[in-house]
Amino acid sequence: MNKRILFIFITLVLMSWTKSLAQTKFRKDSLGFYSDTLFVTANKSERQIKNISVPISIINSKNIIQSGSTRLSDVLREQTGITITSGFGAGVQLQGLNPDYTIILIDGEPLIGRTAGVLDLNRIAVGNIKKIEIVKGPSSSLYGSEAMAGVINIITDKKSNDALNTSIRYGSYKTFDGNISLIKKWNKIRFQSFYNNYSTDGFSVRPNSNNRFITPITRSTFTQNIQYNVTNKTSIEGSFRYNKENIKSIIAVANNGTTIYSNGNEANNDLNGAFIINHQFNDKIKTKLNTYYTQYESKQDLLTVSGNPYNDLFQQNFKRVEDQTEWKLNKSLNSIVGFGWITEKVNSTRYDNVDSAKNNTIKYFYNQWEWNAGKKLVANVGFRYDDNKNYASALSPKASFLYKMNSQLRFKLSIGRGFKAPDFRQLYLNFTNTAAGSYSVFGAVEAQKIITKLNQLGQIGNLYSNYYQLKKLEAEYATGIHLSAEWEPNSSNEIQIQVFRNDINNLIDVQQVGNYISGSQIYSYLNIKNAYTTGLEIETKQKYNSYWSSSFGYQFLITGDKDQIAKIKSGIVYTKNADGTSRLLTLDDYVGLPNTSKHRFQAKLNYENKDGVYANIRAIYRSKWAVANINGNEVYDNGDQFGKGYISLNFSTGKQFKNGWALQTGIDNINNHIDGMNLPNLAGRTYYMVLKYSIQNKK
Amino acid sequence: MKKTVAYILFITAFTFLLASCSKSTTTVVAPLTATTVRDLPADTIIGITAQGQPYGAGKYTFYSLEKNTIIANTDSATTKWDLAFSGTKILTNGGTSGMGLGGAFVQVGLFDDLKTISADSVFKTDNAPTSYAVTYGSGKGWYTYDPINNLITPLAGRVLVIKTASGKYAKVEIIAYYKGGATLATTATDAEKMSKQRYYTFRYIFQPNGTKVF
Repeated sequence: MNKRILFIFITLVLMSWTKSLAQTKFRKDSLGFYSDTLFVTANKSERQIKNISVPISIINSKNIIQSGSTRLSDVLREQTGITITSGFGAGVQLQGLNPDYTIILIDGEPLIGRTAGVLDLNRIAVGNIKKIEIVKGPSSSLYGSEAMAGVINIITDKKSNDALNTSIRYGSYKTFDGNISLIKKWNKIRFQSFYNNYSTDGFSVRPNSNNRFITPITRSTFTQNIQYNVTNKTSIEGSFRYNKENIKSIIAVANNGTTIYSNGNEANNDLNGAFIINHQFNDKIKTKLNTYYTQYESKQDLLTVSGNPYNDLFQQNFKRVEDQTEWKLNKSLNSIVGFGWITEKVNSTRYDNVDSAKNNTIKYFYNQWEWNAGKKLVANVGFRYDDNKNYASALSPKASFLYKMNSQLRFKLSIGRGFKAPDFRQLYLNFTNTAAGSYSVFGAVEAQKIITKLNQLGQIGNLYSNYYQLKKLEAEYATGIHLSAEWEPNSSNEIQIQVFRNDINNLIDVQQVGNYISGSQIYSYLNIKNAYTTGLEIETKQKYNSYWSSSFGYQFLITGDKDQIAKIKSGIVYTKNADGTSRLLTLDDYVGLPNTSKHRFQAKLNYENKDGVYANIRAIYRSKWAVANINGNEVYDNGDQFGKGYISLNFSTGKQFKNGWALQTGIDNINNHIDGMNLPNLAGRTYYMVLKYSIQNKK
Repeated sequence: MKKTVAYILFITAFTFLLASCSKSTTTVVAPLTATTVRDLPADTIIGITAQGQPYGAGKYTFYSLEKNTIIANTDSATTKWDLAFSGTKILTNGGTSGMGLGGAFVQVGLFDDLKTISADSVFKTDNAPTSYAVTYGSGKGWYTYDPINNLITPLAGRVLVIKTASGKYAKVEIIAYYKGGATLATTATDAEKMSKQRYYTFRYIFQPNGTKVF
């Protein structure tokens, strides 16, 4: 509470201090995707969005602000082709692929700290974001081969003129969000600082209930960035980010018909720092030397009602040194060469031994050629080579082409290959959940050792046939192909249609390999699947007049496990009829991979006038998705457990005053859709109000 | 304007095209000779231990497939019964369980498709407590247990091929483990899951002539 008062106090002081300077500049925004926006993620240096050959999406800050979002998960939930998954926080599912396969970057630097492969997007505040760039599919070679589903790059506001932005938001469930962001430029130095404080009392279906879907959380994020232009050719840049969250956990786990409550605290924090030297040798060659360090720590201390402690510690750090050189050979040919070295270290109570850290070293090299062949064709061809200490080295080639037919119509084709080595968890996990029925998950390297030992102690009830198939895990491979068309029939209509297909081979998944004497399950990791996702995305934007505009997005998605499909085709998979008798499962019953929805739809209607008044209403629809296999045939089919398809409606309105103040109010989840079991991240109807004050130097 | 209309039509048409997917259903007609036994209690729950484990009276329900009737517990040491039910455990009248000629095995396949028990099939007998003719345990015999929802679901495509106490043959398909003949919804209350479980609904065909043909 004190923090909040302090926060408001500082804000007010700053506001009155600088009031005389107050002048807000309205930026003129054009319609949408193909305006003269710059895109940086695809080539690591800025390009006109119309000249990007890989499949992309871009979300600008105006969209983020006007929708009243505070966390990255809120922003991404409203994008075409993206589903926010639940379980281990809010993860991102791009084109039907699990969160493991999407890299999340802040200003080009990767975030770490994943639980079961999920990076919780609630950790990321959006108060200082200028735009979010998304590259889809394994089409970029620049960030890591494991980006088999895509790359999401959060670009913070670094370029604007001197500015001070503050905002306070308060809403239902005692949710508070406060931001202060400061940008200051001197002759050769540019300084940027951002602070966010967020807290919520959590959300429960029954009032005064102890058991909450969204637990009480406090989060704070602090970032600093300083750039110094030593000469016109050399600049140095340092950035630092610290994020801390405290979660009050009240966990209820049902097992064998009894519910066990655990109380406690979870503290997660991550820190990252980068030091960058940019140097321009001449007008053709420039280089960037980047040293990056990041660490993540998660600590969980729970106590069950029966007094069993459950303590968990996870520490990870990641160091990277990279040099990237851009060479402009001539007007139409550009080459980026990069090489780097990553060391990664993890300590965890979840692994075999907390004192023995797990290490990995990756050396990598990439080269990407950008060729502007005439006015109509842009080609990007490149590869990435990773030499993974624990795993064999791999080459990931990528190619993408853009064909500009005329000023209205563009076509893109992108083909890429990626690979992902098994992570530490899949190799070394030694986890027994005492808070939930004492089931165990063992990493592939540990499983046979541990189970053999347990067997000697007489604790193993039985082992499944796949236990004997446990062996060294192999890396997962993916290929992705994306074809898209972009059409602007006139200045008020835009449409983008994309068809995609991603294939993942050797997919690693958790599988039950046996039981304890007590009946509790034992799981481990195996290369079991050859999966695919394929589908279509349509996005449109239309402007009706100078006040009204709208946008629509639709994704049609088909996913599947090829081995399971083969089994269904050969007639060895069964299911139950409504009357309880059995029949053969057909492909019509098959629903593909869990947590994927066949249809997703977004619609947004937007109003804005010249006096700074705006209003928007957004609808998100997601069709049913399989959550658990309950009929025991190991295949997800219509007889299994589904999350019910739903619509959620959000509304927001506000006014930007000329003197720098802004007021906003909104309602999220107007129709109050609640599904605590399958959508634990979706709170009930939420009302909020935002007060903002910004000053910006006119220049 | 014309362009806008055409454009909207284009989108709408496209969406409909995608949304329309046909579904076909197949129905399985059970042979007339199949008998369905409904809501057969199998040591229903009478309380919960301090550790939270539910328990029953610890008694089996004995059943004669030949006579299609429940057999009194006092006749447990006879060859009057063919199957005995207690919780998820199913016994056959043979081996360590009884004095009959009974045995069984679990076949993967459809009830109706099993027309003849192949000559080389091996009927297992109960050997308590290590092994049972009708394999015991989640995912191994006739059911799967979902610990998150606390539900027992009969596995699809499992036929219990039974040798009766008198040495004749029968085939059995378990329909449900809950009162009412259907597996409860995952959203059912804990109390309902507790009170309605351990009631078998199954269908069977008994071949009185002693052959392995149905």
